[in-house]
This record gives sequence, structure tokens and C-alpha cells, in this order.
Amino acid sequence: MEYQATIGIEIHCELKTNTKMFSGAPCSFGRKANTCTNEIDLGQPGTMPCVNMEAVAKAIEACTALHLTIDPLVKFDRKNYYYSDLPKGFQITQQFHPIGRDGYIMIHTSEGEKKIRINRIHMEEDTAKQFHLTSKTLLDYNRAGTPLIEIVSEPDMKNGEEAQAYVEALRQTLLYLGVSDVKMEEGSMRCDVNISIAPKGSSTLGTKNEIKNINSISNVGKAIEYEIKRQADLLDRGEEIHQETRRYDDKTGETILMRRKEGTVDYKFFPEPNIVPIRLDEKWIQNIQANMNELPEEREKRYAETYGLSQHDIKILIGNKDMSEFFEEVMKSAKDAKNVCNWLLSDVSGWLNKHGETITTTKLQPQNLAKLIAMIDDGKISSKQAKEVVDDLMEGKDPEEVIKERVLNKSRMLDSLIP
Amino acid sequence: MIKEMAKDVANVKERCQEAYQKAVVLQEKLNDAITLVDPSEQLESLPEGGLFHGVPIALKDNVSTKGILTTAGSRILSNYVPVFDAEVVTKLKKEGAVIIAKASMDELAMGGTNLTCYTGPSLNPWDTKRMTGGSSGGSAALVASGVVPMAIGSDTGDSIRKPASFCGIVGVKPTYGRISRYGIIPYASSLDHVGFFTRSIEDACISLQALAGRDDRDMTSSYREVPDYLSLLDSDLTDKKIAIFGNVQDALTNETTKDLFTNLMKQLEKKGAKVDVFHFSEDLMKAMLPTYYLIANCEATSNHSNLDGIRFGVHEKGDSMEEIMTNSRTKGFGLLIRKRFVIGSYGLFEENQEKLFKKAQKVRRLIVDELNECLKEYDCLIAPASNDIAPLLNDTSRDELSDGYLIVENHMVIGNFSGYPSMTVPMGMMDGCPIGVNLTCRAFDEVTMFGIGKAIEDITGYKDLTAEVK
Repeated sequence: MEYQATIGIEIHCELKTNTKMFSGAPCSFGRKANTCTNEIDLGQPGTMPCVNMEAVAKAIEACTALHLTIDPLVKFDRKNYYYSDLPKGFQITQQFHPIGRDGYIMIHTSEGEKKIRINRIHMEEDTAKQFHLTSKTLLDYNRAGTPLIEIVSEPDMKNGEEAQAYVEALRQTLLYLGVSDVKMEEGSMRCDVNISIAPKGSSTLGTKNEIKNINSISNVGKAIEYEIKRQADLLDRGEEIHQETRRYDDKTGETILMRRKEGTVDYKFFPEPNIVPIRLDEKWIQNIQANMNELPEEREKRYAETYGLSQHDIKILIGNKDMSEFFEEVMKSAKDAKNVCNWLLSDVSGWLNKHGETITTTKLQPQNLAKLIAMIDDGKISSKQAKEVVDDLMEGKDPEEVIKERVLNKSRMLDSLIP
Repeated sequence: MIKEMAKDVANVKERCQEAYQKAVVLQEKLNDAITLVDPSEQLESLPEGGLFHGVPIALKDNVSTKGILTTAGSRILSNYVPVFDAEVVTKLKKEGAVIIAKASMDELAMGGTNLTCYTGPSLNPWDTKRMTGGSSGGSAALVASGVVPMAIGSDTGDSIRKPASFCGIVGVKPTYGRISRYGIIPYASSLDHVGFFTRSIEDACISLQALAGRDDRDMTSSYREVPDYLSLLDSDLTDKKIAIFGNVQDALTNETTKDLFTNLMKQLEKKGAKVDVFHFSEDLMKAMLPTYYLIANCEATSNHSNLDGIRFGVHEKGDSMEEIMTNSRTKGFGLLIRKRFVIGSYGLFEENQEKLFKKAQKVRRLIVDELNECLKEYDCLIAPASNDIAPLLNDTSRDELSDGYLIVENHMVIGNFSGYPSMTVPMGMMDGCPIGVNLTCRAFDEVTMFGIGKAIEDITGYKDLTAEVK
């Protein structure tokens, strides 16, 4: 039988703030375990939360970029459950009054452009990190209390490609905003996928399954395609689909059962009594919105207008934020954007890949690349000659000097041949 | 008394050591402390001056003290030593106060008897066969027996104002947000207040002066400026309008209490106050206790979810994290606490919230609305703090569904529902034991409350009343 899939995605993003969501302890990744915590993060008795306004500002940026309506009255609620990674026995979140509602993001797939609606964005705090060893469990509280935003999509996606494009588009937007590191492999961006399938044309939804903790964007697509096939096979065999939480194993390419859901958990949500509702000043919000970093779609527009690049080139350039910023550096002393773009996307990228470097780690100087391109344009050297100096260029050398040297050497060689 | 002590710089060491020694001796008889703190070390590094310079004080054991055991009266915290000071401790230390005891309390501040502390009951200094009342019973006993002139307590239902009545001292619960709660092991956050006991209104003024003020670590604390309570203290009652809590007066059964109260009202009138009777809806009054229990237990079950034996506190063994948590909590809490957690959890279940937790909050609102009506007209609502003197330790006679119990013994929770300032002052003696009268005033109007309290103190003459422990 043919099936149609319905996919919704919940994304947790760690906000890049100096301190935690409700405490003054520093936020940092990769520090020695349990060195970035204080009594509040550890849930010591008598401690009280204090809202980090830097996190609120970053959440507002995310809401604005994703076209959500912002609730200027910030409130928090408690989500009560016992778990060893949850110091207080409850998580402070925004169940009843999310900071943003009803937004969207545009995605691009092989079928063209599509709008994916975003139901809500709410702020909350992260849990501690658990390390399960054979005989014991270790807990690192550095992560506990890190500000998170949870971005909840509407179930608007229908296959792995769309889901992957959605996650990529979100990642790019948040990266451009600078509100999060959005590194799935480090866990600063975490993705939970809800997926159900039903016979094609059916108006009712099938039983929902959740796939948790997918660790890369490409695995989002893979996990979903696997899961659609798994569920379709079950239905084809006349078997029942249970409501389950599964995880994706990137070694086998399969989703694996974590637990079956027996009814929903009652989190006993109620308003956090220790945080008074905060009325955000309209001007404060406007000021944040006016000073946001350039968004990918804004940059696309600017590149089209300023540099006259093709949509294809623009997409690729902007897809790599660092490369795009390097491009602009080169353009400060270069004339032909198309040539610069070509060089960056072919010779430079090729060299970086081959040498395991990135545009941020390379010694390549933007003005040197501009010089080299100018020399070709001015007919001083041929393209072939230019390719010969790529290694030197990438080592940070000035192409003019390099070429001068080479010509000199050549003439010396010629000189020595004259009897 | 505090003012004189703070001025008497020469006798600081002697005074604090004496207070400590007295606490040690009385501990045998009263069991009113959980930890006695030798002041020697603190005396080495006292700051210059301060409102409490060299004044010995006690703290309820739910006040976090860096490096000093803080148990909140519960077995699960019986090994817990905080790594930080509560804001009130920081403030008091800055003013030169010297901590000599962490006082006994009902487990996790739940209960009104001080019989549920894991170290056993604390006894009333006026009559050791009687309760101190709770949950701040140890603090009240330490002040009443003259060990310290001031002790910190906390008040979620009437946990300062009831023991103040039973111990014959002043018990103050200021406006919600007036004193920071940071570092106070909570009971129910929307009802919890930090307050204190003293033996005179003047000492109460100085204490609030030292303790009040905004703390950025407690978002619910107020930015309002702290007035100079002592210099504003004015016992003149001319033009003061006082409302007798009619429902409480009607439900009193103890004739002596009635007489003491009626007499006091006459005296207040004589001093120029206009005294009327104000009745609240009887239905709301009878709903007060169940409303309180629901809100308090719901918040408490969530607040105390951090007590799981994993990061601090008494850790029981188990094969999994879940088992460790279950075992630690089962063994760590007393029966009453476990019962309240079950009730609180039940009230928070999604299917019950509307008819229990949320309904309780609506009733709370209605009660506060009526109080607002009353205080629109009157400066102060007044009633006896209890029907009788402190109950005997083995007293099991109370009928929890009688008007006497529902209204007379629980009316002070109105101060917690509203967050308005409320305090108990001694009113009289019966069979050698004290009983107090309770005042509730408008939000942040502690100045008026202290003024009326001072007038009562002048009338009764119960200033610096100290129990001779036999």
C-alpha cells in the first residue's frame, strides 16, 4: 500500500549566553565536569531562580527571525518529574505562556519552496548530563540550567528531505543570529522527530512515534526514511504500530525502541511561584529587533543586489557562513564577485578539503586572493599560472611576490643557459 | 533591648558566651535547638558597629548557614551543610549579629506543634508539659526563655504568629517580599514568609530594619525603600480604625480569652481608636484551612522534589537511581510529610487541578478580596491568636472540623493568603501561660502595625516578658 507520512519536529537549542537561565553560573561547553555550577544549578534547598534577561533577549531574536508573535509578558511554569539528571525535581519551562507563538520558516527542497509553520518557541533550562558506566552513573551539572529554547513545528513535513531541510534552515537562521552554537554533534542543538504514517489519502493520522537525539542533520533524513519504511512494513504485514520512543543508531541506520508509552506522563504543570511575571518594555524589544544580525534570507537578497551572483552560487556561499564572510572580505579589494565566488567554491574549497582545514583555520589572506584574481583579469598571468601558485597562496603568501620570484627564477635559469 | 546591647560594646564576648551557655543548659530541659553554635569563632571577626553588634541571635533550622548544619527538622537533611548563607544571614552578620543556635522546627516547617522535628519536640519554656506551637517553635522558645533577644522564623500558615502566642512574645511576619527568602528552605513558595521573634516592639522595629530590603536573588523581593521603623514608631491611636475579626470572636469558647480580648479592645478605644466588628463570609472562613492545605501541599510536593538523596542529604542505597531516590525519600521523611506530599501531588494531577489546586487559588483570591474590603475602611484587623494557651504535649482533643478549630485556630493564614503584614503580641496570661493577640495591616504598612502593637504593649505592660524555665 502507499502511505503518507506526517512529521513534526521539536528542536532544543542551547542559547549562547554568558550565564545560566536562572543562575549566575557560567555557561560553557567542554569544561571540566562540575566546575560551572552553583547552588542554584544543583538544586540546593532554599535557592531561587532569577531570570537571565540575556537569554530572554536571544529568545526574542529567534522568535523575530522565525516570524513568531512575541508575548511581552514573560511567565514560567514548573514541569514536575523525578529523574536523576533533574536537580530540582522539576524543570522551569514555559508551558502556559510561551515567549513566541505562530511563526514559520521557508525551506527549499527538490520540489521547490515550502512554508513550515512553527507552533511555538518557549524558554526553559537544560538538565545535567549523565554518563552511564557499567556499574554506575556519573553526573555532570555543568549543563544543568543552561538556557534552552524549544522550537515546536506544526506537523507540516511529509518526508525525510523536508524534515532535513527544515532542520538545516533553522540551524542556519539561528547560526546567523548568533543566538546558539547549533552544533548537533555537541548537543547544543537537539532534534526530536514525531512521525506517523497513514494510507495515502486518509484524513486520520496514524499512531505517532518519536525519534529522539538524532546527532546530525543528514541523519534526520535517514532516520525518517528508515522509520517510514519500518512503519509501512508493519502496516503491510497487518501489524499494529505502538506509540513508542525510539532512537536512531547511525551505525546500523536503524531506529531502535527505547520505551513504549503507556498513556502520557502527567507533569503536573503549574505556574512557578518564585518568578514574578516580567512585563517586557516595548522599546527594549524593538531595540533588540533593530540590532539583530543579518539573517540568511537578508544576506541572499543583498548578494543578489550587490554582487549579481546567481541564486545557486548565493545558496552555496550562504550555506557556509564563514565562507560567506570570507567572500565579503575578499570583495573589499576585488572587483568581479563571480570570479571570487568561483575561486572560493572550487580551488579554495578543494584545497581546504584536501588539507583538512576550514576557511577559519586557513592562512589564506582575503586581499591575496583578490590580488591573484586581479592579475588574471588584467592579463598579467594566465589561469594556468594562477593555479600553480594556489599552494603558496593558501600558505598565506602574496601571489604577486610569488609570481615575481618565479619569473625571476625562470629568467635566471634562462640567463644561465646563455653561453 | 537590642539597641542597648549593640551599644554595650565592652560586654560583647561575655554576653554572647553567656547566651550560648544558657542555651546549652536549657537544651537539656527544652530541646529547642537542633545545633548549638559556639560563638567564639564569630566573635573573632565581628564587623565594626551595626544594629546587631554583638547581639546573640538564633535561626530557625531552615535558614541556610554556610558551614553549619541546616536540617529543616528533617531526617533527610540531617547531614546537610550548606555551601552558602541565606540572605538574612548575610544581612544579620553584616549588622554584627552572633549566631548561637539553629532552632528546632516542625519537619520542613509543616505542622503547628513542633512535635514533628526529627530531634523530638521542643518544649514550652512557660510549662514544659506544653507545646511551643510550630513550626518555628524552637526560635520562639529561645526568645521566650531569654537566651536571645531575637530569633528568625518562617511563617507559611501562622508558623511564627502561633508560637509567639503560646510563648508570650512578639512574632512578626512582614509583607510578602519585604524580607528576602533566598536560602530559606521552603515550604510553599507563594505563602512562605521570613519573619522573627522579639520580646518588645522596639526590638521588632530594629529587626525588620536590619532584615528588610531588595535582594536580586529573590525575584519576589520588593524594591520598596525600607523605612526607619524605630524612629517612626508611634503608639498614638487617635483616628486609628481597628476591625475586630468578628468570625473569630464569635467562635471563641474560652471565657478568659474572651475577657482578655474584650478588655483589650476597651483599652484601645480609651486610647482613641475607633473599634468596630467586621464579619467575613462564614463560608469563606470555613474554607480557609482546606484552601491553605491544598495550595501549601501542592507547592510543597514540588518544592521538596529536590530532596532525593543524590546530591546532598541522607542517601539510602538502591540498585538504580530511581530506587535510591525512592528509598531516600521513604526513609527520610516523617509520616505527616509523606501524607502531605501525597495530597499535594493529588491536587496537582492534571485531571484534579481545576477542581482542587486552581479552585483553591480562586478561593484564596475571594478571601483576600474580603480582607481588602475590610482594610479599605480599617487600619488593622485584630483577633486573639488562639482560643487558648499552648496545648499539652499529649493533647489529642482537637476537633479539626469544629468552628473553633477551622476558624479560631487557623484565621491567621489570611496574612499568608494576602501577603499582608501580620504579627502577634502578648495579650495576657492564663494558668501561668501566655496568650497573644494578632494584628493584620495593609501591604507594606508595618509602621502602623508596629504603632498599634506598641499601644497594646503599653496597655498590657508585657514588654521583655521572659519565662523562668523550671
